[in-house]
Amino acid sequence: MRNKKPVKTISTGSLVALGLSISSLYSGINMAEETAFESEEIKKHQHQPESKSMEGMVCGANMRMDMKGMVMYENKDNLPKDCAEISEDVTIEVKAGVKYAKQYPGTVFGFDQHQWQVKPCSRVTVEFTNDDDIRHQWMIHGLPKYLYPEGMFHIEVNGAGKKTGTFIVPSSHFTYLVHCDIAQHVEKGMKAQLKVGNGRGDLPSIPGISAPKFPDLFKK
Amino acid sequence: MRLYRQALSTIFLILLPAISMAEFPSAPATQDSFLGLVEPFCPKTVNPAWRKSHQIENISIAPSPVCDPDNPYDIAAFVKGTNNVSMATMMQTQLSPDTLIKSNDIDGDGDPDEIHIRLEVIELNGFSPDHKDPITTYNIAPGIQPGFWAFAPKSRGMSNESFASTKANPLLRLPSPSIRVEQGDKIIVTLENSHYFPHSIHFHGVDHPFQKENGEGNDGVPQTSNKLTMPGKLVSYELTPRQTGTMVYHCHVQAHTHILMGLIGMFIVEENKANNWVQTFNIGAGFVRHSSVAVKSKYSQEYDLQYQDIDRELHNLIQAGNDSRLLAKSYNREYNITERTPDYFILNGRSFPYTLRESLIVIKPEEKVKLRVFNAGDQMLSLHTHGFKPTATHYDGVELKPEARIQRDVFTLGPAQRVDMELLAHNDGLNNMGEGIWTFHDHNELGVTTDGIYPGGHISSVVFESFLGPNGMPKLQGIDVSPFFTKEFYQKKYPIWNLSDENRLYGEVPQELSQEQQVSSSSKMDATQIAILVLQLVVLLATVILFRNYTKKENA
Repeated sequence: MRNKKPVKTISTGSLVALGLSISSLYSGINMAEETAFESEEIKKHQHQPESKSMEGMVCGANMRMDMKGMVMYENKDNLPKDCAEISEDVTIEVKAGVKYAKQYPGTVFGFDQHQWQVKPCSRVTVEFTNDDDIRHQWMIHGLPKYLYPEGMFHIEVNGAGKKTGTFIVPSSHFTYLVHCDIAQHVEKGMKAQLKVGNGRGDLPSIPGISAPKFPDLFKK
Repeated sequence: MRLYRQALSTIFLILLPAISMAEFPSAPATQDSFLGLVEPFCPKTVNPAWRKSHQIENISIAPSPVCDPDNPYDIAAFVKGTNNVSMATMMQTQLSPDTLIKSNDIDGDGDPDEIHIRLEVIELNGFSPDHKDPITTYNIAPGIQPGFWAFAPKSRGMSNESFASTKANPLLRLPSPSIRVEQGDKIIVTLENSHYFPHSIHFHGVDHPFQKENGEGNDGVPQTSNKLTMPGKLVSYELTPRQTGTMVYHCHVQAHTHILMGLIGMFIVEENKANNWVQTFNIGAGFVRHSSVAVKSKYSQEYDLQYQDIDRELHNLIQAGNDSRLLAKSYNREYNITERTPDYFILNGRSFPYTLRESLIVIKPEEKVKLRVFNAGDQMLSLHTHGFKPTATHYDGVELKPEARIQRDVFTLGPAQRVDMELLAHNDGLNNMGEGIWTFHDHNELGVTTDGIYPGGHISSVVFESFLGPNGMPKLQGIDVSPFFTKEFYQKKYPIWNLSDENRLYGEVPQELSQEQQVSSSSKMDATQIAILVLQLVVLLATVILFRNYTKKENA
């Protein structure tokens, strides 16, 4: 039914997978997904935060979690290698919920904005408000892995409420993917982009900004 | 009259050589057949350490020797509640802190009696506007990814395994998890509708009031009791079940499609006993690694077996587009269930051979095992077990009186029916015929196929421990099973008996050539054949003319 091409050997699998890991959601390249061919490197980067803390909200240096949600891989102080100093402090307020999908017909979930632009080496504080009664996420991918495990920074708000988290972007001009990775939320509208500097083009299928790579067909 | 007969036999004799003179057609040579990529019986990504018995959070978790066992840390959290386990345990799971809140020992018997369960609705193998292939993938068999909706315990973090993988995280799968509660507990089930369509929960056969105390609807039926729970919204149902048994929960919005898409699972009410910490969720159904006090007192093991059948036409609709309006139209107004034909058959979310990784019943002589069998599909199920005659103890959650218990080797269940069975490994020729690998399968033969290919469907096996090899692989002594672990086998590209076929009796014939061959033997003729035919026609014509002249003369 589906003709995926599993990567044949572990070694090339790892290289290809790593090479494509950042680009997969940008370009729609299909990753090998048969369990037998998952690379070790990918596994290492998988979501396994170290934690020995038994009490309270803080579980490991990189994660805060409570009944209202979580902030993962926050970074307020460590500069990316290519930044001499923080260029500016930026706060972006983001709202999420079904009601923000209304202006883009055919979508179901949405953010109130789907694009932000900051200067290279900015320290970005995201104030993320969820207007729904279910979970939503503001998750950014492709950040340097030596600062952000899996290359990501992630805020999750568990039902109506607000969480705030901070991270520092590198110096290069780049367009980062922002989304909610709950099944079908990104597909149905919760996709956005953060441009650092001039960015590097637009990502596909962002409501109000760019066309999908695989659009729906409508009768005329 | 005689003349007529003579003329006809002459014609026949003239035509005869044309039949016998066709040359012996040389059949094309057998083509070599190659297997595609053979997946290992047990994938490297499973965690073998999970198979042994565990003691986590003071909860004993039974060993599960199959290839791909349930995560024991999940089970600890499902027994104690996500509010009663350490952060270290939580970090070994992908559960949300409020997935399962257990509190308040109302009857003072040592276990919590107020249980708050949170469920989300997830989509598997759905459409992506960025990818050619489905996303949040879940394979029921090699290369087979029908679209599904399922209930899942509320989780945290990503639905996909990682940014580099489109595979669903392990909590997101089929079937919707079995849910276990204790009789008399005060249960709140909150549905957080994380999906893009409206949904609900109806508790089928589970003792629940039509209205909650505040007068709100509690039956989950849009026509009679509840408004639709729209995307982004939640609804809570309240129940204090007085009766025990194997029951059901399912979505009741557009039930004819939503149930079959996967929004259906087992809801089991266990007897109220002291210190009875039940395993609230059983992910992917199957073996229960922490059975209730009552079940443990009567049985050595317990399994939940949920059977489903899948019409590809319905399940692939979510893969055809992204626009919520077009999707709603295709599900609500275009799909016609009266034309339904099932293509796939799954047991606990998988078809053969993946059933062998998760859904083996591993047994020792003299063990007595409880099976809760649920037909969650739309077809009749005629479940047959080799090597055993199980005994039915409950139908639809109601216990049978001892004299009404039935022992047989085929149990037939219509849609939504349940039977609790006792499987007794006592070798007396009736209960059991001795040790071995005893397959159990639907005897409605559709159920043993995958898109018409055998062996597939929901075949699995009861395996005696003496027949279980490393990595949970049964010590099979039949044919080589590698073809079943390839996509190509289920894409109908590999001759079924090829690996046993030394003399190439049933090998692949080149497709185009075989068609040509067919054409030439039926309609195409070579030059001599045409010449003979023309000659025959001439002779025939001459005979007719001669015959007519002759009769004219006679009449004259």
